[in-house]
Formats: sequence, structure tokens, C-alpha cells
Amino acid sequence: MDLLSMRESYQHDRIMLCFNGPISRSLIEEIGKALRNYLDTQKAAPSAAMDVFAVYIEMTQNIRHYARSQGYDEELAAATVAVAHSGQGHYQVSAGNLVERADGERLVATVEALALLDKQALKQAYKQQLRRPRDAEGHEGAGLGLLDMARKSSSPLQAELQPLPNQRSFFSLTATI
Amino acid sequence: MTTMISDLDIPGSQSTPTIHSDWQGGRLTMRGDSYPENSYELFDQVIHWVRHFLTDEQRPLHLELALVYLNTSSVKAMMDIFDLLEEAYETGRAVSVTWHYDARNERIAELADEFREDCSYPFAITPVRGEP
Repeated sequence: MDLLSMRESYQHDRIMLCFNGPISRSLIEEIGKALRNYLDTQKAAPSAAMDVFAVYIEMTQNIRHYARSQGYDEELAAATVAVAHSGQGHYQVSAGNLVERADGERLVATVEALALLDKQALKQAYKQQLRRPRDAEGHEGAGLGLLDMARKSSSPLQAELQPLPNQRSFFSLTATI
Repeated sequence: MTTMISDLDIPGSQSTPTIHSDWQGGRLTMRGDSYPENSYELFDQVIHWVRHFLTDEQRPLHLELALVYLNTSSVKAMMDIFDLLEEAYETGRAVSVTWHYDARNERIAELADEFREDCSYPFAITPVRGEP
């Protein structure tokens, strides 16, 4: 394993924290705690620190909900998460996971549609989504989380879908705070 | 004869708030972060308590909140609680909310304010210097 090249690549991309592997409920909390502590030592503004944390939580919980709804095993449910400091007080939060190709295409279309909305329209869409009845499991699918992330971002969310064999794709999402 | 349901006394954790209810005093307090994966596993009992109090009692109900970060799933559950208060208020019941927040973090005030937009009862959003 070439740890030095991993290290150099992280430093080059100013990655503060990253994770790759099966993600449990407690791991989300522990990484989240590390992220908050790190932002605190970096003297991030409390509002920016909270936005970064919020986007991290919505992304990782969306991945957990999706993997569970698909009945994915640990390996398929693995998430790749990175938080980078992009300078001038901006942060990038990215997360990627395997999805069924059709679901990935739907997600990319949703993210692209959100990019056309201004802050006021995003707020309106968020409030509408909030008032939709919850499903049997009590969560919303990705919709409410995506709207929340888009509202907290300083530029539109960026989604990418990379095809893999077996009708699956790798979906990745980046939010800039 | 009204039946009193048992009060809530739920200790907080890293991802769930401390929740305490006081049926006699007509108060419900919640403080801390809330981002469990399925918020209704936690909030269903709170919604149940609020619904019962508003149905069984005629006394005022006050919510004392010092919630900090809420994930979208918790936002939805809190909206259900505020909606119950709104319904009661519209039938003439005395209900009110005070939400304390750390003055250094305006995001919490913005979150509280978005809830308040849909409520017509007294809803105070109060900055606290230092930790709330």
C-alpha cells in the first residue's frame, strides 16, 4: 500500500478527513464528532461548522437509508466520504456510494433540477417536501436531505454517476459550504 | 375523570436530545442535538405525550427548547409537534414556545424562525451568551 501517495493526494486536495468502508450508525456519529472537533480547532465560524456537519449527516444518513432499502450487504453499502477545506472559509463535503443505475440517474436529474432554483425557491420546495406524509419507515427518501444540503451550500450541488458492471453505478455528491 | 399518562424523562446522547415532560406543570423541555437516523423512534412518544396533554387537560402548555442541530428527519418530527400546538391554539388553548440558542450561532435562530413562520401562538427565540 502506498500510504505516501495517499497522503500526498489528500494534502493536495486539502482533505481534512476522509473515510472509506461500511458505515454504521455509531461510525457516522464518531466521524461527525471528529469533524466537529477539527472544525473547532480550525476556528471555523459556528454557523459554517454547523452547515458542514449538517451536510455530512444528511449525506451519510441518506447512504445508510438507501443501502437498507435495497437490502445491500456490508460491502455494497460501503461509503466513501471526504471533507476538504477549499480556502477562503469554504468547505467541500463529498460522499459516494453504489446505487442501482436507474436510481442514480434519477438522483442526478434531481440534483440538476435543484441547481436551477434560487434560495427562495429552494426554501419553498423544502417546506413543501417537509409537509408530505412520511413513509412507513418514517423517512423521506433523499429528497428532503438534498433540498436541505442545497440550501446550506454556497454553490449548486454537484452530482456524478460513474457506470460499473452489474447495472450498478457509483454515485457521488459534492456540496460546497 | 382524566387519565394522566406518564411523564417523559429521556436522557440525551450524542445524537439525541434530553427530553423532560412535566404534566402537572404543563411543560415540555428538550435540549441538545437531534440527528437519529429514524427520528420517529424517539419523537413518537413526545408527539403522543403532547397530543394527550392537549386532549385531556385544559391548562396551558409551554415548550422550553434549547435544541441545537436537527437533521431533516428531526425537523419533520418537530414540525408535527408545532402543528399540534397550532391546532390547539386555534381552538382557544394557551400554548407557547421559548427556544434558547447560543448567540454565536445564528443558524439555530434561523431554524427556529422557520418553524415560527407557520405558527401563530407566542414563540420566543432567545439568544443566550455562552452555552445555552
